[in-house]
Amino acid sequence: MSLKQYVTTPLLKENPLTLHVLGICAALAITNSLTSSLIMSAALTTVLIISNATISLIRHHLPSSVRMIVQITIIASAVTVIDQLLTAYLPTAASTLSVYISLIVTNCIVLGRAEACAMNYGVGRSILDALGNGLGYSAILIIVATIRELFGNGSLMGVRILELARDGGWFQPNEMLMLAPSAFFIIGFMVWGIRSWKPEQKEQPDFKSVVLPREVEGR
Amino acid sequence: MDNNDPRKAVIVVALVAVVCSSLVSAAVVLLRPMHLNNQLLERSRNIMQLTGLIEPGQTREDANMLALFKNLDVRMVDIDNGAFDESIDPNTFDQRRAAGDPRFGVAVPADQDLAKLGTRSRFAPVYLVWDGSELRRIILPIRGAGMWSMLYGYLALEADMNTVAAASFYEQTETPGLGDQITRSDWLAKWRGRKVFDDLGDPVFAVGPGRIAPDSPAALHRVDALTGATITGDAVTSLLHYWLGPHGFQPLLNQLREQPPTQAATVTTGNS
Repeated sequence: MSLKQYVTTPLLKENPLTLHVLGICAALAITNSLTSSLIMSAALTTVLIISNATISLIRHHLPSSVRMIVQITIIASAVTVIDQLLTAYLPTAASTLSVYISLIVTNCIVLGRAEACAMNYGVGRSILDALGNGLGYSAILIIVATIRELFGNGSLMGVRILELARDGGWFQPNEMLMLAPSAFFIIGFMVWGIRSWKPEQKEQPDFKSVVLPREVEGR
Repeated sequence: MDNNDPRKAVIVVALVAVVCSSLVSAAVVLLRPMHLNNQLLERSRNIMQLTGLIEPGQTREDANMLALFKNLDVRMVDIDNGAFDESIDPNTFDQRRAAGDPRFGVAVPADQDLAKLGTRSRFAPVYLVWDGSELRRIILPIRGAGMWSMLYGYLALEADMNTVAAASFYEQTETPGLGDQITRSDWLAKWRGRKVFDDLGDPVFAVGPGRIAPDSPAALHRVDALTGATITGDAVTSLLHYWLGPHGFQPLLNQLREQPPTQAATVTTGNS
């Protein structure tokens, strides 16, 4: 693969959210606002790059017995520093995101890329892979947040786009879009769409249904 | 050293721990002044909303807000005897730290510890809001253990020391979407006009149970419960009972009811 492909592959072909279905929890929780989603995307991409770069750098000196502990320590430290920076410079946004920034530690994408990429490849490739996966995650978050905030609240990044009926306008918002389960539907439809377009992304069924031959009655 | 050597595992983990903890500590220490400034701003916004001096939802420039806040009449109260104490500077007093300080901390008796505090500060800053020479509101700091976290907030009472004027919670990490609904302004707005004490002077204000019809007799002392936030809602009830009870601000409120406070000469009224 060329260098460019490390970044572009995770955008659609191997998207962490729609193909691997990782990092769903935060994607459901914070996509009711585009601003939160942008900050979350930036935070996750930064954490991914830091963790992938650091882990790739020391990968030859990581005894496999303590590998995970070290990875999680590095990820948690990066997340804590970013959380501190956000509360210092963007206090309002940080309080809206509340625990979800700290929960990046448990985002499977970060540990997943550490294990799948940073433990096996050099720093350069790991950083590009982190960037690609971060952007792939961000793309889905931004699409979902745009749909949810625009049709659920008639605004984008807090700026009023559609006049709400309750304020004398014409737009009747779909308030279900403000609730987390709506993101499930949106992401579900996206996964369906992408897999119909690119059938190679379809998973093999875990179990095959077999029609059992009717028991022969010997009596 | 070979990666399978157990000594290497110990060394690697120790090195990573040292490097990571230094980075985290450095970030916390370097950013502390900004965090403190943000907290002060947040607190001034919070308290100014409760004074009724600025319209709800109205925003002011940060500097303007701080100036308004500094102009408020803030007094230190000795919670135990309910008297104002002028020997302590309310602007430098840290009520949270004081709770754990042997000079200021008071152990809360277990049978009275409704807010699950353990210890509380003997002194607390309260804010008096004046309308000309009339007392308009009093703002009391309240806190108590919720489901996951300590809930920090303020309760503003009208000059009768019984009617809720406003309330807010400015710090909590309850379950997002459920317990953190206690910060919703539309819910807190329903507190307004409720009486916190019954005819005997005991604190009876409560959250829930269920929906409280606004014209029912129960509405005198109750507000709607929050769906999915029963434990946090009950915690709010308990902490209010503590802070309005005999171990909380009840002595102060009783004294202020009998003998209204006088405006300090140096304080300018906040009608700017």
